[in-house]
Amino acid sequence: MTLKDCYAAMGGNYEDAIGRLRSERLVQKFVLKFLDDGSYDLLCRSLEEKNYEEAFRAAHTIKGVCQNLSIDKLQASSSRLCEALRNGYTPEADALAEETAEDYRQTVAAIRAFQEASVG
Amino acid sequence: MKKRLSSASRFLTVSLALVLLLTVCIFSFLAVFMSRKSTETISDVGTTYMTGMGEKTTQHFETTIQLRLSQVEALVSGFQPGDALPEVLREELAFNAQTRGFESLAFYSPTGEFDMIYGDEPLLADPEPFLRSMNNGESKVAVADTGHGEKDILLGVSAEYRMADGTICTALVASLPASYIADTLSLYSETSLVYCHIIRRDGTFVIRSGGAFRENYFDRIQALFEEQGKSGDQYIRELEAAMDSGEDYSTLLNFGNERRHLQCNKLPYSEWFLVTVLPYGELDQAVSDLSRTWLYLVFLGCAVVLTALLVVFLQYSNILKEQMAELEKTRKEAVHANKAKSEFLSNMSHDIRTPMNAIVGMTAIATANIDDKQQVQNCLKKITLSSRHLLGLINDVLDMSKIESGKLTLNMDLVSLREVMDSIVSIAQPQVRSKHQQFDIFIHDISTENVCCDSVRLNQVLLNLLGNALKFTPEGGRIQVALYEEESPKGGEFVRTHIVVTDNGIGMSQEIKDKIFESFVREDSARVRRTEGSGLGMAITKYIVDTMGGTIEVESELGQGSEFHVTLDLQRAETPEEDMILPEWNILVVDDDQQLCESTTASLKSIGVKADWALTAEGALEMLEHRAQIRDHYQIILLDWKLPDMDGITAAKEIRRRFGDETPIMLISAYDWSEIETEAKEAGITGFISKPLFRSTLFYGLKPFVNEAGAEEPHHEELLGDFTGCHVLLAEDNDLNWEIASELLSDLGMELDWAENGKICVDKFSASPVGFYDAVLMDLRMPVMTGYEATAAIRELDRPDRDIPIIAMTADAFSEDIKKCLDAGMNAHVAKPIDIREISRLLERLIKERHCNT
Repeated sequence: MTLKDCYAAMGGNYEDAIGRLRSERLVQKFVLKFLDDGSYDLLCRSLEEKNYEEAFRAAHTIKGVCQNLSIDKLQASSSRLCEALRNGYTPEADALAEETAEDYRQTVAAIRAFQEASVG
Repeated sequence: MKKRLSSASRFLTVSLALVLLLTVCIFSFLAVFMSRKSTETISDVGTTYMTGMGEKTTQHFETTIQLRLSQVEALVSGFQPGDALPEVLREELAFNAQTRGFESLAFYSPTGEFDMIYGDEPLLADPEPFLRSMNNGESKVAVADTGHGEKDILLGVSAEYRMADGTICTALVASLPASYIADTLSLYSETSLVYCHIIRRDGTFVIRSGGAFRENYFDRIQALFEEQGKSGDQYIRELEAAMDSGEDYSTLLNFGNERRHLQCNKLPYSEWFLVTVLPYGELDQAVSDLSRTWLYLVFLGCAVVLTALLVVFLQYSNILKEQMAELEKTRKEAVHANKAKSEFLSNMSHDIRTPMNAIVGMTAIATANIDDKQQVQNCLKKITLSSRHLLGLINDVLDMSKIESGKLTLNMDLVSLREVMDSIVSIAQPQVRSKHQQFDIFIHDISTENVCCDSVRLNQVLLNLLGNALKFTPEGGRIQVALYEEESPKGGEFVRTHIVVTDNGIGMSQEIKDKIFESFVREDSARVRRTEGSGLGMAITKYIVDTMGGTIEVESELGQGSEFHVTLDLQRAETPEEDMILPEWNILVVDDDQQLCESTTASLKSIGVKADWALTAEGALEMLEHRAQIRDHYQIILLDWKLPDMDGITAAKEIRRRFGDETPIMLISAYDWSEIETEAKEAGITGFISKPLFRSTLFYGLKPFVNEAGAEEPHHEELLGDFTGCHVLLAEDNDLNWEIASELLSDLGMELDWAENGKICVDKFSASPVGFYDAVLMDLRMPVMTGYEATAAIRELDRPDRDIPIIAMTADAFSEDIKKCLDAGMNAHVAKPIDIREISRLLERLIKERHCNT
């Protein structure tokens, strides 16, 4: 599995990412680091605790990371969640959080697959 | 309107007529009244005058008579009867009397006979009273005939002389000619109106003057009255009564058209009466002359007043008419505007309903086919399109209402014309491509790229004009934008900027051309019904240009296309333009537009580059050939994508084939070159440079070739600056984002420090030596302290470098966010994902600006 395949699997834009970071090595490095990023955990925790302000910030951070790495699919869903939480809780937030979680799992799965493939 | 006018006119006319009538009445009454009054006054004056005159003459008579009597008395007392012989006495008396001017002197006997001393013997007219008075020892005067048809006045004084016959006389009588009295009393004079008679009780004249010829004054009055067919009896009776009672008498005699004043006084020392007469004839003449003059003056005054009134009336009536006309015009305009607004409302409602229908309909379809993903996506796409259209309409209406209520204001900031043009080119490109239109952009004579202006509104103007051109130009049409500058009449601080948008589209009729800048007007004919829009774009454009103090003109012909020409006097930006100097290269510019060639050559020259130009590929090849022969190669070739004889890519291939691969070739294009990029690269094109070719566009486009290394990958490295030795503080709470930013920015040579949140950022900055950091890159959403708060905190520090450039980085790119950033004190804003070129450019500008300022 190549990095390009990984991007395809997680609904990202490989060319865009290369264009920004200018080398496959860097993209790979940062994509792998995405697995360690704590923002998603923070998001889940905050939503559970109904701390929507913190949840907004976490969603915002995920959006920012995804923008930098051109992980478009997750960026789109996290961005919508972000807007739903911008001024506190709104009813759409639950569905959007579910969507974001789904995309996150898809992204993480793709990266793990790539990680295993490259390590293996 | 007409009715109102005519009723106003009627009122005015009637009032004028009444005022005229009133004026005439008042003046006539005044004339008549004054004339009558003056006659009365003259009579009063006459009475007063005559009374005084009578008394004066009476007194004068008295004095004269007294004087003469005293002279006679002096004779008597001077020559006493016994003093001398009678003969001697007579001689002495005669001598003395003659020296005193007496006409004759006589002794008067008690029986009434005269013993003449000298002179003629007088014949007394009425001897009885005289003789009685003399015998009583009184002094008296009387009148007597001289015998020569003249009259003498006799003055008698008691004296007892012995007369010639030996008897003793009773009085000494001296005589004076009647004319002497008349002369002395000025009873009649040629120059005076007044004349006097002296008459006796029975009316006979003692002294007659004036035109009187009868012997009796009563007869004279009677005769004068009879001439007019009237009787004077009444006056004569009154006169006689007054004479009998010894009173003064004064009356006005009216002989028809002539009036005379009569005054009668009793004279002393005699049985006589003084009759003074004042004929009013001449006075009346004078008075009537005066009255006539007065009347003329009155009517003249009246005429003047009337004329003035008439003039005022006419003038007022004119003004009234003008005002009415003005009112009518305003009313029509208001009605027109109102109608336009209603029409606009109904059109607009229709226009809003159309996309709204689409949205409602598509939503229904999507709901019905919720499981058919393809269908739902299709619906959503259409809903998005319709929503955007709807949003556009509503934005226009909102803008217009803002303008109509006068709330549109300009936010002046520093604007780069290059960036403005770049942005509208990139906005126009997709539409141009989809309609296969030719789009070209020309700039020349640009002396100042940076100006002060409201960039949002300037963009709006340009996009409106360009949007219209794109909209009303059919497929395959041509659209041009030209930008040039010239000196401004407002002074050196300003630059007159011309923006001309030309198309060869459907054009406009004269009627539409006249109304195009009016609010709520839209051409509503079949040929444009399919075109979208609120119809407010041009009104908004015009208003913005007006607010900027500029002008907008339109030239258009139906079917031939339109040209919009915007002229603005923009203030030159104060920041000094960057020091743009390139090595002394030789560059060849190849373009079919001579103006572009000339303007580009001039721009290149201003940044230190020598340039030649060619209008065709063939010409360019010849020039290259020539240079190859003299072994003085061009360092860089700027090649237009479209040339008349061959296109740029073919030309590039030819150049590569004939002259090798060494010289970089840059393709000039106003289009998005992503589609032709691969082909171009294969043909040997080194890179692209986008129109319009501003000085800075050329500088940044060509700068990478300064280092040979940079020339290899110009489209990646073209705008990256060198920040070796710069310290930048990056506030970012997410480590992954920090690492990415750090990785990218370190490539620019700068040294980065990480602050995990706003609080740490402020702390780190406060702990650093002054001037250590050159800039701060600030994420906005951070725990503990947000980017806004951190910025505010840094700006409030008591450090000389608290004005450090702070650039916001955020995943939100709403305009409100940008405004909020700037309000919080940040210098600029970049959107995530991190665009290294943009950050590089911003940092370069901000750091340099700061160094310039300090």
